[in-house]
Amino acid sequence: MFEGSWQGKINLVYEYQQGKTKLKSAYHQAPFKIQRAFYPEGESICHSVILHTAGGIVGGDILSQNIHLFPHSQVFITTPAATKIYRNTEKKAFQDIMIKLENDTYLEYLPQETIVFNKSQYQQKLKLELGNNATWLGWEIIRFGRSARRETFTEGQWLNYTEIWYKNKPLWIDRQSLQGESQLFSEINGLAGKPVVGSLILVSTHTHNNFIKEIRELINHKFHHLILGVTTLQNGLLCRYHGDSVSEAKTCLIAIWQLLRREYGLNSTFKPRVWQQ
Amino acid sequence: MSETLLLLLQLCNSSLPLGAYSYSEGLETLVEKKKIIDSKTLNKWLVNELKYGSIRIELAIIIRAYNCYLQKDLQGLLYWNNWFSASRETSELRQQSWQMGKSLLRLIRSFESENKFLSQVINSFNDPCNYVIAFSIITANWEIKREYLLLGYLHNWVNNLINVGVKLIPLGQTEGQKLLLNINQEIIKNIDVILSLKDEELSSCSWGLCLASIEHEQLYTRLFRS
Repeated sequence: MFEGSWQGKINLVYEYQQGKTKLKSAYHQAPFKIQRAFYPEGESICHSVILHTAGGIVGGDILSQNIHLFPHSQVFITTPAATKIYRNTEKKAFQDIMIKLENDTYLEYLPQETIVFNKSQYQQKLKLELGNNATWLGWEIIRFGRSARRETFTEGQWLNYTEIWYKNKPLWIDRQSLQGESQLFSEINGLAGKPVVGSLILVSTHTHNNFIKEIRELINHKFHHLILGVTTLQNGLLCRYHGDSVSEAKTCLIAIWQLLRREYGLNSTFKPRVWQQ
Repeated sequence: MSETLLLLLQLCNSSLPLGAYSYSEGLETLVEKKKIIDSKTLNKWLVNELKYGSIRIELAIIIRAYNCYLQKDLQGLLYWNNWFSASRETSELRQQSWQMGKSLLRLIRSFESENKFLSQVINSFNDPCNYVIAFSIITANWEIKREYLLLGYLHNWVNNLINVGVKLIPLGQTEGQKLLLNINQEIIKNIDVILSLKDEELSSCSWGLCLASIEHEQLYTRLFRS
């Protein structure tokens, strides 16, 4: 381990008993911490807020998250603030996130934005295993460079792998990379000078309508001026936002998330308090 | 070599009935939005895709599937087929890959109707077969060298997209051919890098392509298929 770097861990296990999803066990090692589980929208869906107490991720950090939902649990996870990835030209930081969703589970994993500083080196891997009738709704909002300081991302390396598997078969594999030196921050193949990307992904092994039509209507009605689109995945859908503003990304992805909640029969007007700044 | 060269030329000829000419892989949107306006901007797009884009993954998967076929590793072949389907970011890109894969398999079947192993491989697909997988099956079966089949595949890919540019921007035929000639060096430069990629390194920067393809699915009037 490098001096000043962390080997943070968080392991969360949820189970469902008599109408209530409980956080059965929670292990954490600094800089991770977990807030006490709470139930702002009834007992069937457990809310958790994962905190990163060090203020940001630095080179040399090795972080891991393990999240396991036993059958029938429903969970909402977010973070209280943006995650910063600080510059470090020598060492890379890693984060591995392993999520297992057993049969008949539902997980919303909606962390707040990540700010990737110029000259940082970061690699994240998220691997998800789905059981039968399991649904994953996740998003990522990323800003490259601290735009308020006119910083761009022209040095460093960012890798972000997401894989979703069902019965030893991949349903969705997204392996994004951005090499600072490539000039893709400004090129149209990459970011075209717009530093914020957001992706919302719904993958479900539950047979369902994919809601594409409804989401397109919402986009055409409210967000037609933005670079925002939706397409189908093999068992779900992908929305991508691209632009200049984290709050704009949040506004439209929250609207889509609320639409999907309505379709799933969940509370569609709910908004966690930690998001309201 | 002479016969395998002829086979490769046939396989990478745009008159092969696979329908490649009916896809623009995001270019129709980019031209429509004036992001690509001339031969220079088209060249830049293609070179960046070659160096960092999703085409790298296509080629890396071809090599993996090609090796599986030669080693008679059917499970491996199906694994990479599923992997590739899961990595297609938009409905349009996935459908293109499946449609062209299906058409190429149909051709292969008629080329090699006596070949038992090949038939067994083709029959083992329960899920749609991607074009890259069908391409690796036939090139492995014909024992075309790895470097050559990658060059052939890339030549065909670039050629198709330049033709899209010729039609839409529009560019003159000569201008298109000059562009194709200029890109050869970039193609050659990238082959070795792609051949040496480890599984862990299969990544790309594809926001530009993905968003252009998503938008193309919704474009009001289109010349190219979605």
